[in-house]
Amino acid sequence: MASSVHLPTGFDFSNEIRNNFLLDKGVKLPKATSTGTTIVGCLFKDGIVLGADTRATEGPIVADKNCEKIHYISDNIRCCGAGTAADTEFTTALISSNMELHALHTGRKPRVVTAMTMLKQMLYRYQGQIGAALVLGGVDASGPNLFTVAPHGSTDKLPYVTMGSGSLAAMAVFETGWKAGLSREEALQLVKDAISAGIFNDLGSGSNVDACIITANGTEMLRNVEMPNERVQKERRYGFRRGTTAIKSETIRSLIVNEEIILPTTEAMDTS
Amino acid sequence: METSFAITGKGYTIVASDTTAARSIVKMKVDEDRIKVLSSHLLMACSGEPGDTIQFSEFVERNIRLFQIRNNYSLKPSAAAAWIRRSLAQSLRSRKPYSVNLLLGGYDTTSHRPHLYWVDYLGTMTEVPFAAHGYGSYFVLSLLDKYHDPEAPLEEGLAVLKRCMDEVAKRLIVNPSAYKIKIVDKDGVREIEL
Amino acid sequence: MSIMEYNGGSVIAMVGKECVAIACDLRLGNQALGISSKFEKIFPVTDKLYVGLPGLATDVTTLKELFRYRVNMYTIKEEREIEPDTFAHLVSSTLYERRFGPYFIEPVMAGISTTPGGKVKPFIAATDLIGCLNFAKDFVVAGTASSKLFGVAEGLWEPDLEPEDLFETISQTMLNAVDRDAYSGWGTMVYVITKDKVIQRTLKGRMD
Repeated sequence: MASSVHLPTGFDFSNEIRNNFLLDKGVKLPKATSTGTTIVGCLFKDGIVLGADTRATEGPIVADKNCEKIHYISDNIRCCGAGTAADTEFTTALISSNMELHALHTGRKPRVVTAMTMLKQMLYRYQGQIGAALVLGGVDASGPNLFTVAPHGSTDKLPYVTMGSGSLAAMAVFETGWKAGLSREEALQLVKDAISAGIFNDLGSGSNVDACIITANGTEMLRNVEMPNERVQKERRYGFRRGTTAIKSETIRSLIVNEEIILPTTEAMDTS
Repeated sequence: METSFAITGKGYTIVASDTTAARSIVKMKVDEDRIKVLSSHLLMACSGEPGDTIQFSEFVERNIRLFQIRNNYSLKPSAAAAWIRRSLAQSLRSRKPYSVNLLLGGYDTTSHRPHLYWVDYLGTMTEVPFAAHGYGSYFVLSLLDKYHDPEAPLEEGLAVLKRCMDEVAKRLIVNPSAYKIKIVDKDGVREIEL
Repeated sequence: MSIMEYNGGSVIAMVGKECVAIACDLRLGNQALGISSKFEKIFPVTDKLYVGLPGLATDVTTLKELFRYRVNMYTIKEEREIEPDTFAHLVSSTLYERRFGPYFIEPVMAGISTTPGGKVKPFIAATDLIGCLNFAKDFVVAGTASSKLFGVAEGLWEPDLEPEDLFETISQTMLNAVDRDAYSGWGTMVYVITKDKVIQRTLKGRMD
């Protein structure tokens, strides 16, 4: 490890030899959290609506029932992520940071194409090894913009897009319902329907609907705008009575700092 | 087929290791000493790849000695174990890692307690009351579960050790012909015959 | 065989009312052979923050040392203790840095922080082996028994448990889940963290 406090940038491959050695012994690599995911975006009259489900999976296990997949890029740009959860999280965070620096450098409001170019150049450089599939949307000086970015770095510019394992279910909804010049309410309802189609028909997607409406006037993040899978109150309490668990040993560490102040006993001055 | 085991007791740690050096189906040597004396109160039994065990144990021995010369005091067993583990973990990330499994027995002269560490070539380390490496471990660990007593005096400890060696001799297909046994306690390191 | 099953081990953390709890099993194995029943996987970060590191045992020790180093550097530079959520991001970025050559550890964190207003905020989080954070409001699990822990915790956990009730819930969840896992068990250690004390208890487990 570098003894300097200024760590070098980029990925660290120091475990590579060891891990290949272990892999050669026939052990399998554990799965990283992935977002099976339904993510969508569509244009409407005055802007863009993005949508996402909130399920994160580790193989067949639901790792997180209410995660956030609509990531912040800048005030007027957001990005939905599907694929390897850590990759979508860190790629969007890095681009968000670079976009802020870019905005400060140019003194202009950041453009969606700039973010899209940064993303595709980074993802292309890593040749698909960074497993991030993204839906990027925002409103800038050129108007509303909507893109998809695939893990290998290819991009599409379309009026309505879907990605992730639930993309087919969601696209079916878009294909039937989308038309040019939708109103804000119509577009939001369409996105909700598309995500719901993913939630209920795709095993990799589930739980709640997140949406984000971006217009020239501002951005509205609608976290858990629809919660069709809320758990009902348990009918009974299944808690254990205190003292159920046998304890072998116990140590209690008090975090309250006790100070006993002993005042010096002052004898009266001898003035005789 | 190398086997080494170690137990702690009241104020001592016993480390035992078989003395056979084999290559393929041939016994090359029957008096190999696999237990390195690292310092006045520290023992290390190495098993694994033949060249690696010697290279690594000498590397460790000299670094422990260097520390002693530089600082005029010896590393405590816990500190030595941590350093040795780190060396193995770093070696594992190199092109040609050491393939060495260790048992580290020591006596802490500051707290007057015996210590025993189980370390494998991956850099896994844990402090244990008794430990074993090699095929013998499958027999010996269950035996020690039953008979080990952390408060046993040395004679009892050696009796338990004898049981272990007898069990390995009885059940392992190629039984080790002889063992090197070393003890570390408050008086330092000494070798014994059983 | 997965690399996580090489040494075995599991960790769980739960949120209670103004308190959190974190528990681990104590087994260290070499595949099917048990080596130690005193291998703790939970380490203190600050007074009110603990981290559990289930996974490959060599990385448990390596990461424990690495996190201690980084937290110490943070404390010296910032001249204050690290907050739980900051530490979670430290863990996350440390693991993601090794995206293409990971440590085989799935960290679990539990701690409490005090807001400037004096309110006590419980905090738990977990990450996968490449640092994807999961901030849950109820419980997080990791390790070889994770699938079993999920099931039991889902049934037993309820909101706003007092420290002693949280202890029973996390203990029973852990004990029952690891009994159905061959690679975890051999005893359990539980920490209950409240605003003015940390209770550490060891529980007896099955030895098979």
